[in-house]
Amino acid sequence: MGFFSTVLGFFGFGVGISIGLVAGYFLFIYFQPTDVKDPVIRPLVEQDSETLQRLMPEIPLWVKSPDYDRVDWLNKFILNMWPYLDKAICKTVKNIVKPIIAEQIPKYKIESVEFEELTLGSLPPTFQGMKVYSTDEKELIMEPSIKWAGNPNILVAVKAFGLKATVQVVDLQVFASPRITLKPLVPSFPCFAKILVSLMEKPHVDFGLKLVGADLMSIPGLYRFVQELIKDQVANMYLWPKTLEVPIIDPVKAMKRPVGILHVKVLRAMKLKKKDLLGASDPYVKLKLTEDKLPSKKTTVKHKNLNPEWNEEFNMVVKDPQSQALELLVFDWEQVGKDDKMGMNVVPLKDIPACIPAEEPKVLTLDLLKNMDLNDVQNEKLRGQLVVELLYKPFKEEEIPKGIEEGQTVQKAPDGTPASGGLLVVIVHEAQDVEGKHHTNPHVRILFRGEEKRTKPVKKNRDPRWEDEFQFMLDEPPVKDRLHVEVISTSSRIGLLHPKECLGYVDIHLSDVVANKRINEKYHLIDSKNGRIQIELQWRTSS
Amino acid sequence: MGLISGILMGMIMGIALMAGWRHMMRRRSTKRIAKAVDIKLLGSLNRDDLKKICGDNFPEWISFPVYEQVKWLNKQLSKLWPYVADAAELVIKESVEPLLEEYRPPGITSLKFSKLSLGTVAPKIEGIRVQSLQKGQIIMDIDFKWGGDPSIILGVEAALVASIPIQLKDLQVFTVVRVIFQLAEEIPCISAVVVALLSEPKPRIDYTLKAVGGSLTAIPGISDMIDDTVNSIVTDMLQWPHRIVVPIGGIPVDTSELELKPQGKLSLTIVKANNLKNMEMIGKSDPYVVVQIRPLFKVKTKVVENNLNPVWNQTFELIAEDKETQSLIIEVFDQDIGQDKRLGIAKLPLIELEAETLKEYELRLLASLDTLKVKDKKDRGTVTIKVLYHQFNKEEQLAALDEEKRILEARKKLKAEGVIGSTMDALDGAASLVGSGVGLVGTGIGTGVGLVGSGIGTGVGLVGSGIGTGVGLVGSGLGAVGSGLTKAGKFMGRTITGQSSASRRSGSSTPVNSIQENGGAKPR
Repeated sequence: MGFFSTVLGFFGFGVGISIGLVAGYFLFIYFQPTDVKDPVIRPLVEQDSETLQRLMPEIPLWVKSPDYDRVDWLNKFILNMWPYLDKAICKTVKNIVKPIIAEQIPKYKIESVEFEELTLGSLPPTFQGMKVYSTDEKELIMEPSIKWAGNPNILVAVKAFGLKATVQVVDLQVFASPRITLKPLVPSFPCFAKILVSLMEKPHVDFGLKLVGADLMSIPGLYRFVQELIKDQVANMYLWPKTLEVPIIDPVKAMKRPVGILHVKVLRAMKLKKKDLLGASDPYVKLKLTEDKLPSKKTTVKHKNLNPEWNEEFNMVVKDPQSQALELLVFDWEQVGKDDKMGMNVVPLKDIPACIPAEEPKVLTLDLLKNMDLNDVQNEKLRGQLVVELLYKPFKEEEIPKGIEEGQTVQKAPDGTPASGGLLVVIVHEAQDVEGKHHTNPHVRILFRGEEKRTKPVKKNRDPRWEDEFQFMLDEPPVKDRLHVEVISTSSRIGLLHPKECLGYVDIHLSDVVANKRINEKYHLIDSKNGRIQIELQWRTSS
Repeated sequence: MGLISGILMGMIMGIALMAGWRHMMRRRSTKRIAKAVDIKLLGSLNRDDLKKICGDNFPEWISFPVYEQVKWLNKQLSKLWPYVADAAELVIKESVEPLLEEYRPPGITSLKFSKLSLGTVAPKIEGIRVQSLQKGQIIMDIDFKWGGDPSIILGVEAALVASIPIQLKDLQVFTVVRVIFQLAEEIPCISAVVVALLSEPKPRIDYTLKAVGGSLTAIPGISDMIDDTVNSIVTDMLQWPHRIVVPIGGIPVDTSELELKPQGKLSLTIVKANNLKNMEMIGKSDPYVVVQIRPLFKVKTKVVENNLNPVWNQTFELIAEDKETQSLIIEVFDQDIGQDKRLGIAKLPLIELEAETLKEYELRLLASLDTLKVKDKKDRGTVTIKVLYHQFNKEEQLAALDEEKRILEARKKLKAEGVIGSTMDALDGAASLVGSGVGLVGTGIGTGVGLVGSGIGTGVGLVGSGIGTGVGLVGSGLGAVGSGLTKAGKFMGRTITGQSSASRRSGSSTPVNSIQENGGAKPR
């Protein structure tokens, strides 16, 4: 009897607790409002000391440490933009998610999945400081401290078997300090080729997850577990040195390196139109590649000739055969004043077949036009013809300077390097604060094992950039050698007074380079006030 | 019994559990919200907040200027600069050259960059201020300073004189750039960007001109002409309320709201002036008045000879685009052989005007609008004007806009035909009722063509037809003289490099404050 009663008691307890839970659920949770209210924010000055105490751990980094900069203007900017950003993001998310849901639903016998609410709330992310690092590499590094403690409301309703269940995410909080690296830097907008993002420490994540109105995250223990899980997952993917890489532009193309050479031979022109009042015209041809900053090239002037023969050859460096074009302009030379244009034409380079094995130039006869506007009636007038011979020779694969990774990883030494030796590469990047007493037109002279090399001079500049590369082929590692680097200024005027001046020098021991393979550093110049020079050294071996 | 007590116990337990859960939920929720509030508060601190938080340990290195400092941005910019400079050169060349063409002064037939490199010194951003004065717009003011070492060589061609390379040295740009972002509800959330230079503080653009392998005197007055061009571009294109509107990212938006539009009409009667300064050696000044709101549209009264209390009673109509920031600039000149002398300048901010009411103002003439430079407190007399400001309604606005476009079109056409040297001239010529070319040479050419109303045009025109080398040279000379005879006179005497900057600063066409001192006085 006693046993029976106990069993009944347990059974009753079981039933009771279920009823109790359901009753409690309806009593306390079900009728709770699901909407998210904007928090009441009182100005800080009005707060009491207790709340201030609570604030302490959250004090922004720019207050605490001087190497972080304040970015209130950015916060203000985001604050103003946030309502728009919120709507735009939510709209985009809905648009992306909808087709995915529509595709997945039939598999699980679910009637519908819908966003009942989707808003990121009224509180925008804030930047609590910005720190930048400067290195000698071609990169920009910044470390913002981002804190987003928002009040978003994401309510997803799932309908299946006639029942409706809701999942709601509220009070999302993400604190992170990502390191954003922009590299490599390239000379075309937006001036960097890749964005690398990685987290310097595990991010802090907190949120409320309400399943049918009940916040799962407030079950003791579960929150910590989930938080750790998320942190670990994120850390696995993006915690430094792991990075998220976002390519922006193709670095090789952006560097605008030469990829080939265009040989142009201007043969002759025929039936040119007379421009001068007295006598025939004095024609010459100007050649130029579009998108090129180099000055245009000119043929000689053939005086008083409307059917001139030039037979002159030109070589032009091509950087992008797909988009560049050769511009040919025929001018009439004038003794006084501006030369008259007699006609022009443009040949897009992609129209010239690249003849890699065959060395056969292509001869083109071009009609001269007034301008390149196809609809211009003036182009129907005959202005004569120009005959040119074109040959485009792309560099062979190995001739193309290796892409962008060059700076980061040391290449293998080329074939023919002695097994025990290697190739010493010296790249002279730039110098700062070099100043001569009489003139500052610095160039760099490098002395190594009696061999002397020099960069091109930069005129009148205290912070010159050379970016010149020199190579020394060696039979054995230069463990005991030194490299002598000297910055020299030469007078721009021809004069006996102060023709040359040393702006500073530095001797670099090469044993470190052999051990490290690559060293990129700024060295202080000796015999110079504040001068520094940035030199990159590489030791390339065949192994 | 056991069952019932079991059920009861269970129910109490269950309800208690739920109540406990709800309590936990509430607690965690309030905690999270409290934290969110904290973060929000700490996101934008001011001095008082920080004082309260830090107490006595207030960090010394923190200050709160109006324009927030951005050291980190400068660091990054200086590192990125060589690459930006490289990338920007082409862009600048393509976008600025048409502008130069548009504002090209008379006497110069072509103005192009023959070399452009931005140098090694990166611009500095002194500070950034963000505010939102209007819903849906963010205004960002960037305090921008650039004392760079760019190498800019302008290829200047004057009639029949072959291209002269002119180098722009020691360029310094100090200005506050205002960028307005028009927000939208589509990614990237910005539908248009408006760029302008704030007029207060005034943009300062300084440079020295130097002829490469030649002498600046080859084209008389060339340095002043380039100054004028630069100033006109800056004041008429960039300086607030003038602005450049750039639509962004494929969102079809109506940017017409952002564009500068005629807002109202100013009917203005220049009545008289009193107690003008006498500038002439013999007799008295021959004063006339030049009025403008924009340098592109300025008007001129007739000349009253030999009178220090002249009465003009002439009425003009001017278009205003932005009543809040624009001003009416009134300059009184003394007509003279050679360069016309300025007797005084006065400014009437349009915001002081009351719409649709005729009012008379007596304005004191000043030596210069730049208060920093005004030394003498000498009385320069007054000028009396009557002003009626009429606010446009929608139709009138459109009509005015069309009219403005038409005038500009017409001028462009004239320019293309080589009749007038520059878009800046036309109205001047047309508006000058007297139309007297000053100086002997000026009149000669001016009457010679008459029709055109601009002596310079003639010079160029003659040359354009290319009569012959010898004649051509003279023609070009005359052309240049016609445009800037007086400038030439004062200019020829000076050496090229060192002084040109000095004279530019002290001289007539100081870029900062008085853009068109010369322009107004040019004998046309």
